Amino acid sequence: MYIAGIDVGGTNTDAALIKDDVVVATGKVPTRHDDLVESTEAALETILAAYQGSAPLELHLSTTLSTNTIVEGRGDPTAVLAVPGPGMRIEELNLGFPVHILSGSVDHRGREVAGITAHEVQAALDAAQEAGMAALAIVGKFSHRNPTHELQIEALVKEATQKFRHITLGHRLSGRPNFPRRLATSYLNAGVAGQQALFVEMVKRLMIRGRNIGKVFLLKADGGTMTLDDSLARPVETILSGPAASLMGAQALTEHPEGNAVIVDIGGTTTDISVQVAGEPVFERQGAEIAGHKTLVPALFARSIGLGGDSEVRVISPKDGPSRLQIGPKRAGTPAALGGSKVTPTDAAVVLELARIGDVNRAREAIADLGAAMGLGIEAAAEAVIERFTQQLVQEIEDTYTYLESRPVYTISELLAPLDIRPRVLIGLGGPAEVFIPLAGKAMDLTWEVLPCYKEANAIGAAASRPTAAVTLHADTALGRVTVPEMDYMGEIRRAMLFDMKKARAEAMEWAARKGESLGITSLGDIAIMEEESFNMVRGFHTVGRIFMIRAQVRPEVRRITERGKGETLDADYQA
Amino acid sequence: MQTTKHKVGLLFFPAFDWAISPDHPEREERLLYTRDQIMEEGLLDVPGIEEFRPEVATDVQINRAHVCVPSVSNVITESHRIAAGGSIVAADLVLTGKVDRSFALLRPPGHHANRIVHGSRGFCTINNEAIMVEHIRHTYGKNLRIAIVDTDAHHADGTQDIFYNDPGILHISLHQDGRTLYPGTGFINERGGPAAYGQTINVPLPPGTGDEGLLYAVRNLVLPILEEFKPDLIINAAGQDNHYTDPLTNMNVTARGYAQLTELLSPDIVVLEGGYSIEGALPYVNAGLLLALAGLDYSAAREPDWSEDRVRQSPRVTETIKEIVGQLQEMWHTRQDVDLAEVFGNAPIFKRHRRIYYDTDNIMEEQVEEIRMCSSCSGWRSIYSGAAQGVSLGLGRTTMIAAVLVPWHACTKCRAEAEAKFQEAERSGRFRHVYLQDVERDIYRRS
Repeated sequence: MYIAGIDVGGTNTDAALIKDDVVVATGKVPTRHDDLVESTEAALETILAAYQGSAPLELHLSTTLSTNTIVEGRGDPTAVLAVPGPGMRIEELNLGFPVHILSGSVDHRGREVAGITAHEVQAALDAAQEAGMAALAIVGKFSHRNPTHELQIEALVKEATQKFRHITLGHRLSGRPNFPRRLATSYLNAGVAGQQALFVEMVKRLMIRGRNIGKVFLLKADGGTMTLDDSLARPVETILSGPAASLMGAQALTEHPEGNAVIVDIGGTTTDISVQVAGEPVFERQGAEIAGHKTLVPALFARSIGLGGDSEVRVISPKDGPSRLQIGPKRAGTPAALGGSKVTPTDAAVVLELARIGDVNRAREAIADLGAAMGLGIEAAAEAVIERFTQQLVQEIEDTYTYLESRPVYTISELLAPLDIRPRVLIGLGGPAEVFIPLAGKAMDLTWEVLPCYKEANAIGAAASRPTAAVTLHADTALGRVTVPEMDYMGEIRRAMLFDMKKARAEAMEWAARKGESLGITSLGDIAIMEEESFNMVRGFHTVGRIFMIRAQVRPEVRRITERGKGETLDADYQA
Repeated sequence: MQTTKHKVGLLFFPAFDWAISPDHPEREERLLYTRDQIMEEGLLDVPGIEEFRPEVATDVQINRAHVCVPSVSNVITESHRIAAGGSIVAADLVLTGKVDRSFALLRPPGHHANRIVHGSRGFCTINNEAIMVEHIRHTYGKNLRIAIVDTDAHHADGTQDIFYNDPGILHISLHQDGRTLYPGTGFINERGGPAAYGQTINVPLPPGTGDEGLLYAVRNLVLPILEEFKPDLIINAAGQDNHYTDPLTNMNVTARGYAQLTELLSPDIVVLEGGYSIEGALPYVNAGLLLALAGLDYSAAREPDWSEDRVRQSPRVTETIKEIVGQLQEMWHTRQDVDLAEVFGNAPIFKRHRRIYYDTDNIMEEQVEEIRMCSSCSGWRSIYSGAAQGVSLGLGRTTMIAAVLVPWHACTKCRAEAEAKFQEAERSGRFRHVYLQDVERDIYRRS
């Protein structure tokens, strides 16, 4: 089976074609932001020559469309209708977008405390139309426990005369708590939905232009994929898919897919540090952050630091101590070796012949100036830069683990016997990885690996990714109620006395399977329970019920890819 | 970018895997709805509110505040160590300047735990505030003046016991009148030992006290006293069982009342104590308290079933509170005029005899405490304590211990006498164990 992975990046659009578990072609074209479909098509063309199958080609797209729309503030004007109830005042939240507050409230167990008022909704819609709003987000506090208010408002909107391009309901996007994040996620989702719809149309046209393209999937921030149709309702999940693609590429290509590892993607300006524990990537606890908005969008954990091949190199001479080097966090620009004016870590690598790019003499000149400021010769100065870079990188990796290990836990067992997340392997990718990963690995006393074809890891990661989806089941036997917000489900528990953890798990798995079905997942083995908790409810010294929370997920798995060296083996594949 | 007025460190540890017993108020579920509320409000995303992980308190830290019989590990579980350790982290965060204020929102509570610990009483085994205070004085300076304001509905008898004769500590407990509620103490005439007379202040509030009464006492009594005492640090032992929905008490305080209290008191460190209206009160009180602590608008933090009528304080209650506050104001102003000989006698040793019941563990303790009247320091003390389980049934075997306590800033003479007493008691063979606690020198010995 052939899968094409395409990653639309800020500068380039990368493409990779995999056949079964082997990379058979890669390609690259400049990204055209004015016509993403055009450059996507061009990238696809670069690899299609290697596609020799008769079965339709599966296409995995990682695009910056939603990310850019949000970062550049080009989303549709969106009105947010919120039912906050009592608690923190919305004005204190610094959401960065206006919110229309409606009365009504739901409590922490999902009980309605006060109903919504139809005429308030109407007034909000009038105001939204007046203000020229094209999209609508409807969000209630605790709507993940009881979505009734959101659904009632949606029904009122559908009856109303005002029309909106898109309506997002908060509870459908995530079963996790956090009202401010639900507001932000819904607002962003509604705002990008219009552009996403256009994009989906264009991709469908691309599919029918005489090419044998079968299913099309879009990459998400959690490293999984979603169908094109699904993306119409939940476009916000495609944000930050670029970094996710790289990380999935690393997981697909590494020789160390099991166990604990730290994955370091060293770029020109920044380095991204990600963490793998027992073969699984670590996720952000609550969700992705984008353009200052904290969201509930599931995302792979990555710590981005201002350290890269093009970073600024400065000599800091404090009055009360020896002078030292500081690399980053600012970008210096193009390395001197490549025609830039400032000295960079890349120049140090060129001087020491650790990298063979650009003009060695220009690199030497730049490093010589730096050396003069430090009282060192050229080679010694270059070595000092490389050493300092490695030190800073190792420190940042250490800080990342300290941060992850200090994340709060709420049980005694987790506090006393914390999960061992420390890495055994250092996996590197990105241009400067070849220089720094071996040094950092040595400094940290870790096995290290520099990934093959790191330059295309993002496109390969896109190709290697598989569908993911999660559902959250909340059952409250005292209220006799089960909620699965992502599936728009709220139902009764018929025999509350008999509803136990086993039943709760089975039901959650069933919902996840149903969700998986729409993504083309048939094997239940791909579904796992990621989180669960249950509490006895005692009132007046009597047990009156139990509360269950189960999060079941179609696992974010990645296809393992082997990269046969380009050149002769690739030719062999062409002939096969 | 911080958006709060004060930077707040939160130590949230609900101990979701620990209960005294499955149906006990101190069970897994207690902070479940509080977590739900805090998470849903997004309070942990507020720049300026940061969450930290508790540490596990060590024997050394616990033994500075307690004499656990026979030993620390015999009377507590890991959950107690984490609650005390979390309180210690809360203190460190403030005292190292990492945050302006901190909130140890954790369980189990501790304010009924006395210096001598034979078991659990009032759901408490070790005293989180006391362990924290001794950690603070050890780490950041023995001259620090610390005020503890306990706003739990129950009298903070344990904290009072530990700091009873400690001139460095001001302990104010506001609670439902002891004639109507456990532990049945905390009357206005309990004013501290000879070396710290007047620095234990009990404010018994009548059943039915609401926001109005509680805040009246804070404004007219607590704040002026704090103003005069000039503590380096204010600790609020924040029980939440004054709430109008609490099942164990008869008070009328609301979430907004707690938030106002927090705003008025401006505590450096807040430690959760009791509070067992886990659905109707805790989620809203804790959210309101956290907002107030951070200096954010808490005016919308309100219970779903709140109504003005439900929480209105009766005029009679208001009158009673005014009377008590008036009396206590007078007592505070005249505390230095009191002839201590009249209170404690002229003898070189002041002796008190008490019976202490451990309701949680059904233990009865009998205690004789002797305080040496010393003109150069607060005086060394000896405590003789016998305890037996199930005494009411006559089943228990009494364990007798003796503890010799050397206070902060002890004079050479007291220290030497205490040391001699320890050896003498040890030799006598009358006690199962003899303990020596010299908190300043961090010496803790057990025979």
